[in-house]
Amino acid sequence: MIEFRDVGKRFADGTVGLESLSLTAREGEITVLVGPSGCGKTTSLRTVNRMVEPTSGSVLLAGKDVAEGDPALLRRGIGYVIQQAGLFPHRRVLDNVATVPVLQGLPRKEARARAAEVLERVGLDATMAQRWPAQLSGGQQQRVGVARALAGDAPVLLMDEPFSAVDPVVRVELQDELLRLQADLGKTILFVTHDIDEAIRLGDRVAVLRVGGRLAQFAPPDELLAHPADEFVSGFVGRDRGYRRLGFVPATALHLTELPTRADANGDSGVPGEWTVLLDGAERPAAWLGPDGVRHELGSVYVTEGGAEGVTAASEAAGTLRGALDAALSSPAGRGVAVDREGRFRGGVAPDDVLALLRPDPVR
Amino acid sequence: MRAFGYDIDELVISHVLLALVPVLVGLVVAVPLGWWAHRSPGARRVLVPLSGALYTIPSLALIVFIPILVGTPILSPLNVGLTLVIYTVALLVRSVAEALDAVPVTVTTAAVAVGYRPTGLFLGVQLPLAVPVLTAGIRVASVSAFSLVTVGALVGVQSLGTLMTDGFQQAYPAMVAAGIIGSIVLAFVFDALWLALGRALTPWVRARTGV
Repeated sequence: MIEFRDVGKRFADGTVGLESLSLTAREGEITVLVGPSGCGKTTSLRTVNRMVEPTSGSVLLAGKDVAEGDPALLRRGIGYVIQQAGLFPHRRVLDNVATVPVLQGLPRKEARARAAEVLERVGLDATMAQRWPAQLSGGQQQRVGVARALAGDAPVLLMDEPFSAVDPVVRVELQDELLRLQADLGKTILFVTHDIDEAIRLGDRVAVLRVGGRLAQFAPPDELLAHPADEFVSGFVGRDRGYRRLGFVPATALHLTELPTRADANGDSGVPGEWTVLLDGAERPAAWLGPDGVRHELGSVYVTEGGAEGVTAASEAAGTLRGALDAALSSPAGRGVAVDREGRFRGGVAPDDVLALLRPDPVR
Repeated sequence: MRAFGYDIDELVISHVLLALVPVLVGLVVAVPLGWWAHRSPGARRVLVPLSGALYTIPSLALIVFIPILVGTPILSPLNVGLTLVIYTVALLVRSVAEALDAVPVTVTTAAVAVGYRPTGLFLGVQLPLAVPVLTAGIRVASVSAFSLVTVGALVGVQSLGTLMTDGFQQAYPAMVAAGIIGSIVLAFVFDALWLALGRALTPWVRARTGV
């Protein structure tokens, strides 16, 4: 647990980095600090490992004031991932990751063995271990950066815009990877970003900061989208917050419609005059057959429950109104196809049924 | 090997020692000064112009004044050595400061964040990463020292410069030429050695193209 108690930072030149920040990042959760540049999010992150010393207030880590004791030892017990990875260019990937174990006093051989384990954990294969950082892509470098932060086995991770320097496709991959790792490791993560989408995607709780480090709102993402505290927050969260919020609304009340099906994945005869779903041998939908007998792509399918293998766009929205609505809207038949977590056909999703659940305010 | 009535091996060894040792000593002195200039803008405003000014003092003047300043015997090889140390420091303070400036901030920030103390940060991260820029500075200092060491012959300190001064007195152009060519060759050989050492210490620099 990381606790900020009235933390303020006034720099030597008189600028106020942080006015007075109080918030608690809970154990085992991802807490995101988000806000425009100059809002003090990086400054507040750095007060945790004392790269910035607050001028007022205190930061508590697991109940202990971080200001007590040796800053170098404190930092070795906190994983840190920096923007653009900040790898040591003169050390091979393996030795980059072994840095913290070596600083912690582990013999080099054991430190390297530990580093190799962690590299595997973040999805880098053993051939990467002997490369120089400059020989890796931006995304790979960032994975190594995450591996380096994990290698010290710290319960707390600080992440300072770790994915902002990579292209959007790789960014989503890295975000998925982080969520997967977090599901295994349950670290207490403080994550700084200026990207509200990233904040909503990753955060268990999101703190929106305004300039000067004043806390505008601190809430779980769905609450942030549903009830922004003020105009600043709603402006920051963006225009399509209503749609994005659907990703947090469970679709348990949604009833599936009947759809005509044919148990022949390559079939060319459906129910006359109707859209028919063609199923393969394992009852998985393969394609639509139009009333005119022409095959059509399925569009996105709606996975009715979470926990599906692998994180994909469909499984991420699994069991939510967003997944259901997306399936309905992307289908050529005007109705979406719903499947269970094994991919077996369950029924159809009518857009009206989804919208009915949104009226007037189903959540609260 | 003997030529022109001199033991050439002895002249070469003396030439090399008189040039090389001051470069090494100068490097050891310049590193902490350069680090200070890198850290503190105030120190830099003094150290960099001062070292630049030192380099403009004529070598012969230094060689003659050093015995007066530090009390060494007037004909001691130490006077030449100290002169070359001063020139090396003058050249390298700026080099070291700039080499340290060239280390990316993200890298030093990351090093602090993972728990390096200042000494470990300097020896383990900043200094190794400064090697490419530093090597360039050392090569200039080395070539300069291998050439300036010949001036010592004027005050009787043995080096290949001895062939130049004595050849000049004896009106023996071949001997002067041998001295000149010899010192140029030595300067080149050690330049190549510094270059090779710098490359050997920085395998990561060429790794970019070797994917």
